[in-house]
Amino acid sequence: MGSQASHSRRRFRTAGVLSVAVLAVVGLVATACSSSDSDSSSVVKAAWIYVGPTNDGGWTQAHDNGRKFAETELGSNVKTTYKENVKEAEVAPVIEDLVKDGNTIIFATSYGYAEPMAAAAAKYPDVKFEQATGDLITAGKATPANYAEYWGAGEDTLYLSGIAAGKATKNNKIGIEAPFAIPEIIRHLNAFVLGAQSVNPAATAKVVWTNDWFNPTAEKQAAESLVSAGVDVIFSHQDSPAAGEVAKANNLPWVGYDSDQSGAYSSVWLTTATYNWGPRYLSRINAVNDNTWKSDNYYGTIADGFTTLATFGNLVSADTKTLIDAELTKAKNAGATSINIRPVVAAFGWFWSLSDRQDQTGAVKITKGQTLSQKDLYEMNWFVKGIDGTLKN
Amino acid sequence: MHSTFSGFRLEPRSHLPRHINWTVPIGSFFAALFAGALLLLVTGQNPISVYQRILERAFLDAGSLSGTLVAATPLLFTGLCAAVAFRVGFFNIGGEGQFYIGAIFSSGIALALGRDAQFWIAIPAMIIAGALGGALWGAIPGFLRAYLRTNEIITSLMLNYIAGVIAVYLIFESSSFWRDLEGTGKMFPKGKVIPPVAFWPEYGIGSLVVPFGFLLGIATAAWIAVLQRRTRFGYEMRVVGGAPTTARYAGMRPGRVIVAVAAVSGALAGLGGAASVGNFRHILDPKGMQQSGFGYAGIVVAALARLNPVAVIFVSIIIGGITNAGYALQGPDFPSGLVGILEGLILFCTLGGEVLMRYRFVRTRGVSSNVVGAQ
Repeated sequence: MGSQASHSRRRFRTAGVLSVAVLAVVGLVATACSSSDSDSSSVVKAAWIYVGPTNDGGWTQAHDNGRKFAETELGSNVKTTYKENVKEAEVAPVIEDLVKDGNTIIFATSYGYAEPMAAAAAKYPDVKFEQATGDLITAGKATPANYAEYWGAGEDTLYLSGIAAGKATKNNKIGIEAPFAIPEIIRHLNAFVLGAQSVNPAATAKVVWTNDWFNPTAEKQAAESLVSAGVDVIFSHQDSPAAGEVAKANNLPWVGYDSDQSGAYSSVWLTTATYNWGPRYLSRINAVNDNTWKSDNYYGTIADGFTTLATFGNLVSADTKTLIDAELTKAKNAGATSINIRPVVAAFGWFWSLSDRQDQTGAVKITKGQTLSQKDLYEMNWFVKGIDGTLKN
Repeated sequence: MHSTFSGFRLEPRSHLPRHINWTVPIGSFFAALFAGALLLLVTGQNPISVYQRILERAFLDAGSLSGTLVAATPLLFTGLCAAVAFRVGFFNIGGEGQFYIGAIFSSGIALALGRDAQFWIAIPAMIIAGALGGALWGAIPGFLRAYLRTNEIITSLMLNYIAGVIAVYLIFESSSFWRDLEGTGKMFPKGKVIPPVAFWPEYGIGSLVVPFGFLLGIATAAWIAVLQRRTRFGYEMRVVGGAPTTARYAGMRPGRVIVAVAAVSGALAGLGGAASVGNFRHILDPKGMQQSGFGYAGIVVAALARLNPVAVIFVSIIIGGITNAGYALQGPDFPSGLVGILEGLILFCTLGGEVLMRYRFVRTRGVSSNVVGAQ
């Protein structure tokens, strides 16, 4: 009775599969019942929106370290969450979700989130919306009272990095790769080159554009094109360390951007500008906690501890270190300030008007001793003399 | 009785039982849920609350369903784009670029008409411009395939990059008509906002918000279904797709049909670009479009819908919902990678089910027993 036997065996097998499935379901229900969220209402719920993954080794990771810093400092007084890899075009429903989940302060950390954040602020007046690198307030747009923007003077620490590069170059040709010819980048590159020229007036820089914030392939190719153009120092204003690989292969000094690569690239590393977001996050969550939160347009400085310089690499000589450290101390002692839209004074951007600054054509764009506003910096659309590169706008 | 076996092989099903059209998809859906639950348990998550949250944040909350429709609208168009072309054996991977060109054309016409235009002129003009732009871009690989025998997979893919570079050029690298050079535009390159008269309407049904673009997508899907089944052109598409030589003997001109299909397919993606600008973004945003990759996602939508235009509507809602809920799921204890794996599992099981529908597994044994179940 072969067929009957197989029939029953099959039935047996079916029963086995079914019982496993039932057990699994029971198990699921049991775990579902055992874990229940206990939300205490007195705790501030804070959320972050990131454009990249939290382990990108650059921009997003720096923000997430800031989140963790605030969480460590505040312990059980805060409950934090984040959404990573959020596409700029899809951020609006993510903001809605975070509001629905009861977050009372939301930090968005990519430029393209600004408009939807401001729109959500108008819709949810009880929630605080904080936009990193936004420029709606600086541009004078009307924004709701529960909307704030924050960013910092990365150009200051890039000026100091430029000193290291200016000292490192032997043929006075520095190669720069950067994402886009936009004011933020232009300002950063100008500061870097002015720093180099402050110690080496003959220093020049060649700029190539990668058309992307984060694109290791394009970054590597750009660095290689700079090497073949004969530069002997590389500065990559990019989110990946791809240019560092090229620098290593050609044994050329390298300045990175927004992440400390002194460990992995010790043989070629000089230094760079990094950002410390934690204190800002801590103070803003505290402000929500004790009801003192007010909209602002924060521009962090060296004195605030917001813009920081990465560890020096072995290639930076002791003399150069002393020189840069002296400048750093001067900037630190200028005093922490938290005034909205400050004029450029000792606190930040001290270097811009140390002397007349000319653009590529030789026209004077900043006169010695001139005071620049944050808006002037945000709209900078000219390259300083000594930069070989085109601004396509 | 030896019960050892050396493996399985796939055998085409000689006939398709009727129930298989719904048992296999539903079965694979539950298989995905089950596999997903195991994955979630292993990673220390609670599958029931996770699934509950997906359901809530994708479909059940009124606000969430509105968000799902926002995510579904571009996918509906790019899904139709791929479905129409793949049906005929024209593998248009270029929905992405056709979407960009549609967005460029439609935002351009909206900006050109200005704020004094009537909405009943501005919106139809955007629809036509978007479709036209996509059609022109889509026709290129069609023409190359029909008359120069190039592989459309390569050419349509390459054209995506070109379209992307054009869009980036218009906003980032030139003072083009599309670019806003005032206000915040001085600080960061961005597109001009189209005049409010050209904003596509949204319809509130209770707390549910239905974008006009989504309704246009449904109408387009219906039109495609009619075109495929009830017209001479639809008949030609079927014949050219199935048997090009027969088509030629029958007096059809396969080259023309392929170019026409390529253009229609491109027009659909272009409409998606127009809907995205008109209904949601209101600007030409090259980086945003590239991040979203609606054109590529549309290929997945079409595959899941088995190239059926009406099914594309439902699949786009489901995929839109999953995208939407994906953001709601993730957080410090739920990395976005896990969301991606869950989504991947669902797609993998559903597409795997597709194989089961057309083939069946047959055990291959060492010895000559060929009757399944005789032991």
